[in-house]
Amino acid sequence: MNELDNYVSEEEETTRYQKAVASFYFNIKLIWKNITNRRRSITIIILGLVFSMSVLFTASIWSSTSQKIIADDYLQTLDYEMYVSTFLPSVMQPIFTYVLDDPLVDYVHWYYPSVALFNFEDKADNYTWFPEDQQDDMNNPLSISAAHIVSSAAMERIKLNLEVDGQASLNQGELMISYFQAKQLEVVYNKTISPGDEISVAITRYIPYTDREETTMQSYDISETIFENYTISGIYTYVGKNTVIARMLGGFGNTGGVLLDSIFFPIEDLQTEDLSIMDANRMLPKLLVKANGQELRKNGISNMPDTMYALKERIEFRYWHAFAFILSQEIQAMADEYTRSFGSTVVFVPTIAIAIILTILSTQMTVKKRKEEIAFLRSKGAVSGQIIGMFFGEFVLISSISLILSIGIGILLSALIPSFGHDGFFSKELFNRYFSYLEISPYEIEIFTVLVLGIYLSITLFNVINFVRKDIHESQIMTKRGQKIIKTSVTVGSFVLILAGFIFLLIEYFKQVGGVSSFGFSMVSVSIQALLVFICLLFFICYFISKGINKLIKKLGKVYKVIFKKNSFLILKNLKRHTKNLTDLTFFLVLTVSLLTMLVTMRSSVIHNNDIEDLYRMGADIRIDSLIPVNISEMEETLGQIEGIKEITGFRTIRALWGTQLQIEVFGVDPDKFLEIGRWTDSSFINMTPAEGLLTLNDTAKGVIISSYLINRLDFIIGEEIEVSGFTGSGQIQSLTITGVIQSAPGLGVAHGYDPKMNRDTDDWVLLNKDVLTDELDAHNGSLLLASIEEGADPNQIKQEIESLFPLLTVNPEEINPDYIGYFIDKYIPPVTIILLVGAIILNVVGIIYILISTDFILEQRRRENAVLLALGGNQTKVRGLLISEVSTFILITVLIGVPLGIAATAFSLLFVKPLLIAKEVIILNIHIDVVALFIILASLCLAALLGMIPIIRKQMKYEIVQELRAIV
Amino acid sequence: MDDSYISVKNLIKTYSSKAEELVVLSGINFKIGRGEIVCLLGTSGSGKTTTLNLLAGIDKPTAGKILYDENEIHSWTLNHLSEYRLNEIGFIFQDFYLLEHLTALENIMIPLILRGETEDFAKEYAVDLLHSVGLGRKALNLPQELSSGEKQRVCVARAIANSPSILIADEPTGTLDTKTGDDIMELLLKLVQKNKMSMIYTSHDPYLTKVADKIIVLQKGKIKKYTQKEFPEVGYDKESFQFLVGGESGE
Repeated sequence: MNELDNYVSEEEETTRYQKAVASFYFNIKLIWKNITNRRRSITIIILGLVFSMSVLFTASIWSSTSQKIIADDYLQTLDYEMYVSTFLPSVMQPIFTYVLDDPLVDYVHWYYPSVALFNFEDKADNYTWFPEDQQDDMNNPLSISAAHIVSSAAMERIKLNLEVDGQASLNQGELMISYFQAKQLEVVYNKTISPGDEISVAITRYIPYTDREETTMQSYDISETIFENYTISGIYTYVGKNTVIARMLGGFGNTGGVLLDSIFFPIEDLQTEDLSIMDANRMLPKLLVKANGQELRKNGISNMPDTMYALKERIEFRYWHAFAFILSQEIQAMADEYTRSFGSTVVFVPTIAIAIILTILSTQMTVKKRKEEIAFLRSKGAVSGQIIGMFFGEFVLISSISLILSIGIGILLSALIPSFGHDGFFSKELFNRYFSYLEISPYEIEIFTVLVLGIYLSITLFNVINFVRKDIHESQIMTKRGQKIIKTSVTVGSFVLILAGFIFLLIEYFKQVGGVSSFGFSMVSVSIQALLVFICLLFFICYFISKGINKLIKKLGKVYKVIFKKNSFLILKNLKRHTKNLTDLTFFLVLTVSLLTMLVTMRSSVIHNNDIEDLYRMGADIRIDSLIPVNISEMEETLGQIEGIKEITGFRTIRALWGTQLQIEVFGVDPDKFLEIGRWTDSSFINMTPAEGLLTLNDTAKGVIISSYLINRLDFIIGEEIEVSGFTGSGQIQSLTITGVIQSAPGLGVAHGYDPKMNRDTDDWVLLNKDVLTDELDAHNGSLLLASIEEGADPNQIKQEIESLFPLLTVNPEEINPDYIGYFIDKYIPPVTIILLVGAIILNVVGIIYILISTDFILEQRRRENAVLLALGGNQTKVRGLLISEVSTFILITVLIGVPLGIAATAFSLLFVKPLLIAKEVIILNIHIDVVALFIILASLCLAALLGMIPIIRKQMKYEIVQELRAIV
Repeated sequence: MDDSYISVKNLIKTYSSKAEELVVLSGINFKIGRGEIVCLLGTSGSGKTTTLNLLAGIDKPTAGKILYDENEIHSWTLNHLSEYRLNEIGFIFQDFYLLEHLTALENIMIPLILRGETEDFAKEYAVDLLHSVGLGRKALNLPQELSSGEKQRVCVARAIANSPSILIADEPTGTLDTKTGDDIMELLLKLVQKNKMSMIYTSHDPYLTKVADKIIVLQKGKIKKYTQKEFPEVGYDKESFQFLVGGESGE
């Protein structure tokens, strides 16, 4: 190659490069011009894309951020997540080290159980203190209390569940005593005991066994552990619920167990030797374990129970003699509640789907409008690739703008929505907190982006390619009939596949949920899946129905004649024409109306159910909860005398262990009174009325009413006699006859399933006649009473009177369990009813936008027709009236069909969405139609659509007839 | 007192664009009497269609007046103007402007429906009209199923459906072959005479001036008026047409 060749080649290269650059800039300019020239339609497309993506992004960011905050909030208020015990105290130190080194653990505190003695100073070695109420000197008795030996750091956690008069501190020289112990000491010392008082206490290094006759002072080992003039820093009452410390000390529900009558003493004030002696004396220490919140919630709330289980297993596997207790039930309940709360955001799916459809249809309309442009480009020699490339370039630009906007809006909304919390007022603190916790999952963002933009790209390219091919006469590869057959086959095939999938999911759902009234994580999951597939199915149903509507519209000529009289001819002719846009609009409207109806009706059903369930959970006109177990008979008698109380009945309570696993709460009831006082419903019993079910306890000497879960799990049948031996504090074996199967009872909630809204930590309860408990099991105490009131009596007055007489009684509490775990979640995730409402409102807005876009598009297509009508002598009022009548007819027909469809869809979906809407089916969740709410939301849709159409029609009327006629050619 | 139906006085129509102002009609004057047939002759772009549109009230003049029974039509409200179009004007558009989703019969029914007639009456009347234009068998055909001549007949039937006093026809034979064009003209004349209407039609074909009482030649926005007798006897070829109108023949 000579020099000249090189020169030429370089020049060619440069020219080619310059051409490519010029072509690139030209194309960019062309794309930009196309976008700016179609500002309106492009804005709609961008809005649709941004709406779809930002809702998905918001849900994703909100979900992951909320998880962190909810978990942290819960863990911060929970004392500990685990305690570890062993019967080999000598190995406790290595266990301590091992547990502390675990990355999941933040810190570990020691706990020693002991006994504290007061007024011990003048007691001789042979002073007999047992039984406590029959001591040698009851005029100057020894006061004995459980002593919890913990560090001041541990007190910082424990105090979260104490209501303290004074300071909740446990520094050197300080102790804290319970309210009951303080009252006891007031009797012993005959003086008032207040925070700041000084007192002497002896902490024993040996706990005597009274059954071995160790009942005198010398049984205690207190000589080295007498502490004089210790300051009472605070007097406490246990107010926590199911905390680790309460569970460790044998408490359940709201009793707090040993905590009620106890003291806290600083471990730092005991010598190592004292602790060693206590070890040697089998006063087995325990480790209180606080997990590292960040580590625990690392894989999401739903994995928290399993993460805790893994730690438990690690400890128990390594130290075979160790036992690790975790608050699995509560953490699981929180995970379930969280899943349910966030699962309910699935109701946004139809809204997003509608937004995507809006984008698709807008894209189709835009591409259709550019048919002529494509033909022009083609006539000027543009090849298919160039035309498609131009549209692709526009896609890239529009998508980029939409993506950036969506991420921004997603971040902002995910912090903004929860900042309004459940009280509806903006909280700057919550807003800042969300930002500080902000968690964005790039994976989810990518998936959602691909999903939405993928649909948009496919539709755009599909339409463009279709037009390009048509333009060059390539489209007739197949006959119209062939295309129709393929389209129908694909539609019907997809429908059948989805229907089959839905049936499989329903079977799976009923396998898991059938007969269960407490819904856990897996049930929520299958419910979400079923709902999603059902919504897909609904899309198809609406599609088929819209085809039917188009046929129906054509057959309503006589109706139109009655309504529109002489205008009916043109209205009918316009509605009759089978354009794709009209079919799309029918489909969209039926879908929107039915989904709106579904969301609103689902919401009203849940609200109605919540209302009656709250009343049912409360149980009766008056519900009385006692902080400590009380003698029910005495309490019935005392409270029964209060003016305004008509009837009162209490629940004697005892625990029982059925089999080896099932902890059961046994309630002794007066069947007649419970039947009369309680707010029973038809669904309380299974296959029986409440009267039939409850009164069997009168007819059968030792009848027992149990849940269907127990019937199935333990393979019982009604009438079967069973022997039960595990009653707490009773060695007796009771022979009971099953007389009824119960779903739930007023005041007690569901018979099977942990219900965190109630003060109960067992999964099951059973009902016995009260006489069995009092006469056979010597159980007289309980902590719940229900009462009915006289007609005209004021429940608030009765409440005040009882609460002033008995400070430990709570009457008609606003929440039965104020520490209900779901409240942590409610703070950041609105309840399902709000989510349903927001979903409905967004759907409404999207619906209105689409109606307006579509109407505008259809009217744009009819501009020329209108011009002909005007040229032939039609006046503007008439043409305007025709258009409004036509659209109104259309909306009315779709509403008349969409509403019943939505109601039917709700009624059907309630069969499988219960786990998503409610945690417990205390009362059967039935459909409840709120006609007013439904009317408001649908009327707003129709009205907004009609009002929004006025400017569109006015715009139409402004066009010059001549110009429009010229454009026809 | 003038006995003419329509008087056009100093009618000016201009179209403005950024680049220039196009004068289409620069102050024309003419009259159409009762039962009179007027032919508007001119080259493409001479303002024939604009004049018809202004007469029908579907376009607004830049200046000047159009009096109908001595009333200035462009001073009327839009609704009054619509009434005028509906009751007094029958317009045969050059490009038919048939509504594609309606059958031939239904297209003819439109003016009647717009006038408030019942559907049954409109249908009955439209069937008669269809027969009168020789399209009885095509009543249920959609426009795309009709030939140009048939479309024009539907247009004629639609134009006379509301029994107008003035029939306006824009190039009624413009898109038709000679035979069909003659048939249409014949039909129009028959209908005009039968219904005692006035008619104004445009054409670029001097041959069609033969049936007109008055011939108006439009040239560069100005007009020259002739009676049938005054109209120069020229041939009906291209050269003669150029001689008459001073421009290119053909649309």
